[in-house]
Amino acid sequence: MPGLLEGVKVLDLTHYIAGPYCTKLLSGLGADVVKIERLGEGDGVRWLGPFASHNHASGEGAEIPPGPPLRKGGSPAPEDGAWFLYLNTAKQSLALDLKSAEGRRVVLELAGKADILVENFAPGGMDSLGLSYAELKTANPALVVTSISNFGQTGPYRDWKASELNLYALGGLMNITGEPEQEPLKEGMPLAQLGAGQNAFAATMAALMYAEETGEGQQIDVSIAEYATNILENALMQFSYSGQEYSRVGNRGYGRAAWGIYPCQDGHVGIIAGPDQRWPEVARIMDREELSDPRFTSRAGRLEHADEVDAYMLPYLIDNNKVDIFKAGQESGLGFSFVATMKDILEMEQLLYRDYFVELDHPVAGKLTYPGAPITAEEGVDAWVFRRAPLLGEHTSLALNSWLGYSETQMSDLVQQGVIAQSNGV
Amino acid sequence: MQKPPERMPLKNYRVLDLSRIWAGPYCTKLFADMGAEIIKMESLSVYDSHRGPVSPARGIAAYPDGEPGEEPWNRNGWFNCLHMSKYSVTLELTEAEGRRVFERLVSVSDVLIENFRQGSLERLGYTYEDLRKHRPDLIYVSMPAFGNTGPWKSYLGYGIGQEQLSGMAHMTGYRGEGPMKSGINHGDPITGSHAAGVLMAALRHRRKTGKGMYIDVSQQESSVALMGPEVLAYQMTGEEPERRGNRSGWYAPANSYPCAGEDRWVTIAATNEEQWQSLTQAMDADGLATDPRFSTLESRWENHDDLDKIISEWTIGQEAYEITHKLQDAGVPAGPVLRGPDLLQDVHYKDRGTFVTVDHPQVGPKQYPGIPWKMSATPGTVRWPSPTLGQHNRDVYGELLGLTGPEIDQLEQTGIIGTKPTGSRII
Repeated sequence: MPGLLEGVKVLDLTHYIAGPYCTKLLSGLGADVVKIERLGEGDGVRWLGPFASHNHASGEGAEIPPGPPLRKGGSPAPEDGAWFLYLNTAKQSLALDLKSAEGRRVVLELAGKADILVENFAPGGMDSLGLSYAELKTANPALVVTSISNFGQTGPYRDWKASELNLYALGGLMNITGEPEQEPLKEGMPLAQLGAGQNAFAATMAALMYAEETGEGQQIDVSIAEYATNILENALMQFSYSGQEYSRVGNRGYGRAAWGIYPCQDGHVGIIAGPDQRWPEVARIMDREELSDPRFTSRAGRLEHADEVDAYMLPYLIDNNKVDIFKAGQESGLGFSFVATMKDILEMEQLLYRDYFVELDHPVAGKLTYPGAPITAEEGVDAWVFRRAPLLGEHTSLALNSWLGYSETQMSDLVQQGVIAQSNGV
Repeated sequence: MQKPPERMPLKNYRVLDLSRIWAGPYCTKLFADMGAEIIKMESLSVYDSHRGPVSPARGIAAYPDGEPGEEPWNRNGWFNCLHMSKYSVTLELTEAEGRRVFERLVSVSDVLIENFRQGSLERLGYTYEDLRKHRPDLIYVSMPAFGNTGPWKSYLGYGIGQEQLSGMAHMTGYRGEGPMKSGINHGDPITGSHAAGVLMAALRHRRKTGKGMYIDVSQQESSVALMGPEVLAYQMTGEEPERRGNRSGWYAPANSYPCAGEDRWVTIAATNEEQWQSLTQAMDADGLATDPRFSTLESRWENHDDLDKIISEWTIGQEAYEITHKLQDAGVPAGPVLRGPDLLQDVHYKDRGTFVTVDHPQVGPKQYPGIPWKMSATPGTVRWPSPTLGQHNRDVYGELLGLTGPEIDQLEQTGIIGTKPTGSRII
């Protein structure tokens, strides 16, 4: 079976990160996802590097040019940026001018056939394109319309601009990450946007099930900043319950010692001193008698003497490599970890054993190894499909023909009017 | 038990929830938010460790005013924010009578979800095949740290570990310094949210085909899925990603800047030329726009240190919200670094009802994060506060399974169900 969501039609008006991750999960599960891209420039994330062709053009081991890995806007759009390639697997690309009257008509017609429409324009963007929820609902009352935006479709900050950094700050995650004496820190990956995309996927699935049962579609309003406020766990709750603010604690767990990221011989490891009754195991692994000191046997004791505990652990850590330390802990029933690099991930025995990665060949980017399904559904079901990201406009005619039955003549008229474009291949 | 909500997407589905801590409970929280009936099952001897110890010290901030009270396991805010609108039952699966009740509960459930250490349920005698004897179309979601197969399958993992083993921690940190953990156990909600969406797809598939499914969740794979772009980038460049602090790999300036007050910060980003020009105007720094060090995106990126110094000098005397309003009025992305109290008082979140006040019988009215998205036709609401341990034993075993009063009394007397823990391991 080609995917759990085979037959579900998704009209994808998303760009950059949050929206495309949502529709990547839908296309990955086999939904028929048609991504509308701007003529010429395509999704803005196409212009963010690095790009595979850098190496192709200059040969193996070529120096990366200085400066940010970007290409300037214009045409033709790059096909081989890492971000676009990953976030748009298994989608079809339809290049269309949304701002033209004919383009709008075509999109409304597509919306009439779709089960789901996902968009992440700034709030009001769909209205100004003549594609407000009211208009979409008229075209298709059962349509699920998922809107993802920085701050949501309502509220005083609705029209504020934001990058991941600002969302992380306003969402409360940043204040609790980093060293207490240094500035608050965002995480390196745009996890607010990606996480909001994940939640948008779950919300969309719920609304799809409801629409299929009742015939009633609806609009979903996902705010990226609000998503962040939903996952603050105890950092928010302890203030709500007792008025005590959560603070930054660097690499130590909040209110914990021997619990966090430590340097080791070849990188960094995560030491988790499990429950008190397992502390002797930690002391044994670290091979330091001093760690058996009764002052350290309780969580409170370790916290009180945290620096001393760290000092006793460090010699063992510095003398051993991350995988050995990780396994020494795990083999003793302790949830140790290590800070994996990208190279570590690609070579990780557990992921390789489980056939996690998929290799996809792309006409411009070539063969690359992609992380596969985030979750495995088994029992004789091919839940996921794996196909490379589309070239800009690669599926323009295919989608218009399969969804709307457009003829060659109708399509070439639209091409001549500058409403749609087809990829000439590469 | 309560009548199911009238108009909710998942109101017809019952989930038997053996999951603990955060990853599994976040998945079922999203299900509860969408109207599903969640029966959270715990053991009196090993309850969900998010409830905290049986006898915690006083002063721990997760309890109301730091006071654990007589039943601390019912008063922990960390637990209580994840279990609203769920039912709570207890059951001892090591006892024969407990197993009989469990099997009856499986037979009336659509989904069973657990995030025990790999193989735990199997050791109790329940493989997917065994469970299916009681419910042929059951969907079974098993989410151990590293999945149910492979050399690491029996290893333990927590959210903090998944941040590291997925490469997220490798990318997080101050420039020139080592990797940094996030302030939360970030691997957990990532897995919970992925699992929720895929589980809905599996329920939909069952509706169409009548077939259940075994869903094998590796919390690690779920986290690595968000690292995809960097995994590809590494193959393209041969270079590991750099830790950039709060800067961007693509544009400049982007950073956090100190403001008036203790540990107060504002974030500012100019993602394109227009926003850069607007920033210089809002800063009223005429020379800046024409300074050759900052005339192009590339040069701003290269001279980021100089630029940060100039911007910091401008921000340091001003209040973070004030700067934010000034910049947002000019169309420049900006935002204060909000702390706990700020979040609960922020006008935007108040306007959207992001946080909801819920009255818990052993805690009183407190604020909680609400449903993380809004829906026009099925808005949903928090239906009841987080349940106390075993609060719904009589409802679920009596009303749902049809056990008689004396039968339930017998279960209580033999310690197979109850409301008072007999011990709990805490990690």
